[in-house]
Amino acid sequence: MAWRLSWRRRALLWLANLAAIAFLLAPLAPVVLASLQSEKVIQRDVRALLPREITLANFQLILSGGATRGPIFEQVTYLPKSVDRFPAAFANSLIVACAVTLLTLVLGSLSAYTVARLNLRWVKAMLSLSVASRLVPLIVLMVPLYVLFRTYGLLNSLTGVVIAEVGFLVPYAVLILAPYLASLPAELEDAARIDGCTRFGAFRRIVLPLATPGLAACATIMFILSWHELLIPLIVVSRPEAMTVPVVLAGLVSDYFVFFTLMMAICLLGLAPTLLLVVVLQKYVVRGLVSGALKG
Amino acid sequence: MNAPSGLWLALILAWPVLYAGWLSLHEVSIRQLRTGEFPFAGAANYVRLFRDDVFWLALSHTVVFVAISVALEVVIALAIALVINDERVWLSRVTRGLLLVPWGVPPVVNGLLWSFIFNAQYGYLNRALLALGLIAEHVNWLGDSRLAMGAVITAYVWRTTPFNILLYHAGLQGIPRDYYEAAEVDGASGWSRFWRITLPLLRPVIAVSLILRTAFAFMVFDEIFAITQGGPGNATWVAAWYTYRAAFQPPFNVGLGSASAWVMALILAVAGLAYARLVGRRLEP
Repeated sequence: MAWRLSWRRRALLWLANLAAIAFLLAPLAPVVLASLQSEKVIQRDVRALLPREITLANFQLILSGGATRGPIFEQVTYLPKSVDRFPAAFANSLIVACAVTLLTLVLGSLSAYTVARLNLRWVKAMLSLSVASRLVPLIVLMVPLYVLFRTYGLLNSLTGVVIAEVGFLVPYAVLILAPYLASLPAELEDAARIDGCTRFGAFRRIVLPLATPGLAACATIMFILSWHELLIPLIVVSRPEAMTVPVVLAGLVSDYFVFFTLMMAICLLGLAPTLLLVVVLQKYVVRGLVSGALKG
Repeated sequence: MNAPSGLWLALILAWPVLYAGWLSLHEVSIRQLRTGEFPFAGAANYVRLFRDDVFWLALSHTVVFVAISVALEVVIALAIALVINDERVWLSRVTRGLLLVPWGVPPVVNGLLWSFIFNAQYGYLNRALLALGLIAEHVNWLGDSRLAMGAVITAYVWRTTPFNILLYHAGLQGIPRDYYEAAEVDGASGWSRFWRITLPLLRPVIAVSLILRTAFAFMVFDEIFAITQGGPGNATWVAAWYTYRAAFQPPFNVGLGSASAWVMALILAVAGLAYARLVGRRLEP
C-alpha cells in the first residue's frame, strides 16, 4: 500500500472510524443519561434526548443499600428489592470472582504446562477434550449440577457457585495458557533440572515467573467471565444472602414496577468494574482472547 | 500435574453431562426431587419433547437467531477490523482502544440496557428516531414478534462482535505488507486486493470464528432472559430458554429439561468436533 494517503481516503477512514466508535459506544449513552435523571423527569418528556435536570439520587440510594433516600424517593413507597441487595451482592461477586480466578489459574497453569511440555497421548486427548468442552452448553451442565448440588447441600452457597464456575472455566484457562507456556524456551527448565530441580520445582521457580504476562491475561479474563456469569448463580442460588450482581440485576426483569432510571443506575454500577478492567488491561485481555481462540 | 484439573473436569464437566443423559431417561420432577427417588421412564421424556410444538418452535427460532447474528458478527467485525488496521490515521488507534468496551459489559446488563433502549414509551431508540424524524410516533419494538427477535439479535450482536474484531485484527496483522505492495505494483484495485489477498489469507481465522460464534449463539440465554423472557407470545423462545423453562420453572420437569439439554449437546458436539480438529491441528508442536 502506498504510504501517502489522498485526502479523500483519509476523510473516508476518519468517517469509518467515527462510525465504528459510535457502534461501540452509543448503546451506553442511554444508560448514563437515564441514570442521572429522576423517574418523573424521564416520564415527563418522552421525546427529549438530553435530561432536563440532573441528579445523583439514584446512585446514593443504591450505594447506601436503600437507606439514603434523597428528596426524589421520599414519596416512593415501593422500591425494587434489587436496590437493598446490591451492596451485599457486589461483595459476593468480588469473593466469587477472586476465588474463581485463583483456582482456575492454579488448575489451568498446571494442566497447560503438561500440554505445552509433555508429548503424551493422554495429554493430547485431554487438550482436545478441553477444546471441545468449551462448546458444551452451560444449561446442559446446570440441569444435572442442580440435582447434584441439591443432594450434597451446595445450593445457596458461594462455594457451590465457585465450584461450578471453576469447572466451567478451567478448560478455557488451559486454552489461553497452553500456547503461552509453549512459547517459553525449554532450555531454562532443562538447565534447572540438570542442577537437581524437580519438574514441579522447575515449573514453580522458572516457568511461572516467566509466564507472568500470560497469567495476567488469563486472570483478567477469568475474573471478567466470572463477574459476568448469570446462569450458574441464578440456578444455584435462590436466597438473597448468596446472590451475585448478575442475579440481583436479573431480579429487575420480573419486577412489576420498573424504575428505568434506577435500573440504569444499577446497570452502570454493575458494568463499571469489568468495563474498567477491559479498558485498563486491554493489552492483556486482547492477547489472552486471541491466543485462547487461535493459538497465537 | 494434570490430576487436580482432570479430577475437577471429571466432576463438574464429564460427570454432569453423563448424569444429564441418565436423568433424561427418568421421571424427575418436583415430587421426585423431594423424595430422591427417580423412577425409570424409558424414552418418555424424549417422546414428550419431540411431540412438543414449542420445542420445535424454539429450535427453529434458534436457527434463525444463529444464522442472522453470526452473519452480522462476521460482516461488522470484518469491516471494523479493516478500518482499524490502517495505522495512517491516528483515530484508528482510539478505536482500537475502545474495541473491547461491549465485551466488558455483563450479558445481563447488556440485556437490561437494550430492553430500556427498545422500550416503547421511554426508550432512547424511539427518542432518537423521533428526533431524526424517521418515525412519526412511538414504535413498540418488543411487542411485535418480528421486531422483538430483531431487538434481541441486535443486543446480542453488539456485545459479541468485538471478539470477532480481535480475531480478524490479529489475522490481518499476520498478512505481510509485501503482498499488498506487489499487488499495487501490478495495478490491482482495492476491491480485488481484498478478494484476492485479504479474504483468502484470513480464511482460517474466519473459520474458527464461525464455529465459535455459531456455538455460542446457539447457547444464547442472558439476552433472552433480560429483554423478552421468550415473548411476546413464544416469538423469542430459543433452545436454552426452553431447557431453562422446562427444568427450573414450575412444574420443574428436570427430566424433560435434561432431554432437551441432551439434544442441544448433541447438536453442538458436531460444532465442537469441527473446532477441536481445526484448532488441534495447529496446536501440534
